[in-house]
Amino acid sequence: MDRLSFIEGRKGRWLLGAVIAASVCWLCLWVAGVFFLSDASRPLRARISIILFTLAIGGGALLTENLAQQHFRLLHAFNAIAQHINDASPSLDAISDVQSMPEGASRDLALGMIENIQQLQLSCSTLENARSAAEVRARRNKAKYEHLDAILNSLPEPLLVIDQFDELVHANPAARKLFAIPVSAAEKQKLSQQIGCPKLIDILVETGRRRGAAQRTGEIELPGDGQELRAFSVTARTLPSKGDAHSDHKPVHQGVVAVLRDISSSKAAQKRNAEFVSAVSHEMKTPLAGIKAYVELLIDGDAEDAQTREEFLIVIESQANRLQRLIDNLLNIARIEAGVVQVSKQPLSLNELLDETLNVVRPAAEAKQITLHCDLSNLYLGVLADRDMLMQAAINLLSNAIKYTAPGGRVTLRSRMDDDRISFSVEDSGVGLSPEDQVKVFEKFYRVTKDREMAAGTGLGLPLALHIVEDVHGGQLTVQSALGKGSTFTIHLPASAQLQLA
Amino acid sequence: MARRVLLCDDEIHICRAAEFKISRAGYDVRCACDGEDAWQQILEWQPEMLITDCQMPRLDGFGLCERIRNHEATKRLPILMLTAKGLELSRVDTSARWGVIAVLAKPFSPRELLRHVENVLPLCAPYAPQTLGQTQSTGISTAILTAMPTV
Repeated sequence: MDRLSFIEGRKGRWLLGAVIAASVCWLCLWVAGVFFLSDASRPLRARISIILFTLAIGGGALLTENLAQQHFRLLHAFNAIAQHINDASPSLDAISDVQSMPEGASRDLALGMIENIQQLQLSCSTLENARSAAEVRARRNKAKYEHLDAILNSLPEPLLVIDQFDELVHANPAARKLFAIPVSAAEKQKLSQQIGCPKLIDILVETGRRRGAAQRTGEIELPGDGQELRAFSVTARTLPSKGDAHSDHKPVHQGVVAVLRDISSSKAAQKRNAEFVSAVSHEMKTPLAGIKAYVELLIDGDAEDAQTREEFLIVIESQANRLQRLIDNLLNIARIEAGVVQVSKQPLSLNELLDETLNVVRPAAEAKQITLHCDLSNLYLGVLADRDMLMQAAINLLSNAIKYTAPGGRVTLRSRMDDDRISFSVEDSGVGLSPEDQVKVFEKFYRVTKDREMAAGTGLGLPLALHIVEDVHGGQLTVQSALGKGSTFTIHLPASAQLQLA
Repeated sequence: MARRVLLCDDEIHICRAAEFKISRAGYDVRCACDGEDAWQQILEWQPEMLITDCQMPRLDGFGLCERIRNHEATKRLPILMLTAKGLELSRVDTSARWGVIAVLAKPFSPRELLRHVENVLPLCAPYAPQTLGQTQSTGISTAILTAMPTV
């Protein structure tokens, strides 16, 4: 038991009071004994002395009790307040203790302290709330930042950000890869140290120089994976700075963000398209030139005898027919590609269809002294197909084989049934295709550069055949080839087309 | 003696039409079916003028021009180009680089082709390969170009 608790107890206080009172009485007795006890009135004085003694004891005890109570109450209150602070929980006891104290300086002091402490506690809890709210906000912002960062990093388009000092502050992985910026590269470096494309730097810096919100677009060329240049479109835009919307000063941007987009493929498509138009117009001009020239000769009366005139007219007719065929083919291709042509599938014999096809291409093969070899299956190969379209696909394969095989070569047409699939193939002893071209020949307008001189073409035959076989008939068109060793194009038609026939 | 004109085109009916028109005007005309064929005939027959197409198998019009201009005996041969690519060809390539006198676009007019031949040939000295080395180097094309009607 510590001292304070002991004194604080009622017993302790009484004891203390009694001790003090006894001391006072003993002092009184001692004084009385010394000065008065020699007299005859000793008994009276003794009684008085006893009364005094008792009173002194009583008074002393009461006084002590009173003083102690006040004192201890204050201490008790402070103790409670101290605990109150430590526990951070309001102690009603302490408050009521203080309130029950008699009016006075100590009560005011205690009340003041309690009030201050209560206010402190209030501020503390406010601060605590604010802190946890801030923590939540910080966590949320961090998650948001990480999310945005992940979005930027997963962008397939290269993205660059510079600040107002033309220093690179952000480059996503796509941009890092494109410009070979190492991940370890210190941020805030001068643009020219990181990006080896003066035109791009010019676009970025130029955008940054403009007043207010600005956007600039441009096109740049950068070396790709191989040796070919890749074209990119650049869109650079200033990052607006916050809070200057109402400012009278000219708005100061916070930097420039630029997004690059690879437009090589659309550029290549544009180029192929232009080449296609050029090829088509060349193909059309040639027969037209014949028609015009002979008509003019006739008009000028250059053909003097009837035989020459007839000869000229025959040329004109054949050239007009050629022009018409060309236009028909072009229109057909366009319509089939656009899906305008109605597909009408019916059960038919593949061998019969292939026989007819051979008759169509035979003149072209004979003109080039190419042997057309026919190796059709003995089985009845029934397919569910659109007759005209499938024939078109077969003609395209056969006429390609004839076109790209040197005179004296050989073209073989085969048909087979293996397992549940029906297939036919066109094999030639022609120039063959490189592995790269084996993929590209199925792209629209693509023509193998080195073989262009061999024959006229529009680069649409194989794409069209592919469209007919795969999209219309759900089949497969494959190619096996090696440069200089000929090519074999095979069309597989699926079981479903075959089962519904017989 | 009739002056010799060589026609070169892979489209036989174009060749025939031009040949018909020009030979009727009194020229000696022969046809070639591609650049290689034309080159052989130039060396053997020594024509005084060449009218050639541009897109041809084996050797195209520009390849032929290159051979002609790089060969000592033929480098002054006047060349007309008759091509469906008419408008797509750059003048820098045709006239400045290969010294092509004029480019005619297909479809063409045999009448106009003949007029070009008639305008050009009188300006050229009768073709004699052994004397070619003595003539002034750039004389031909400038003289001819100024005399040419606009194409």
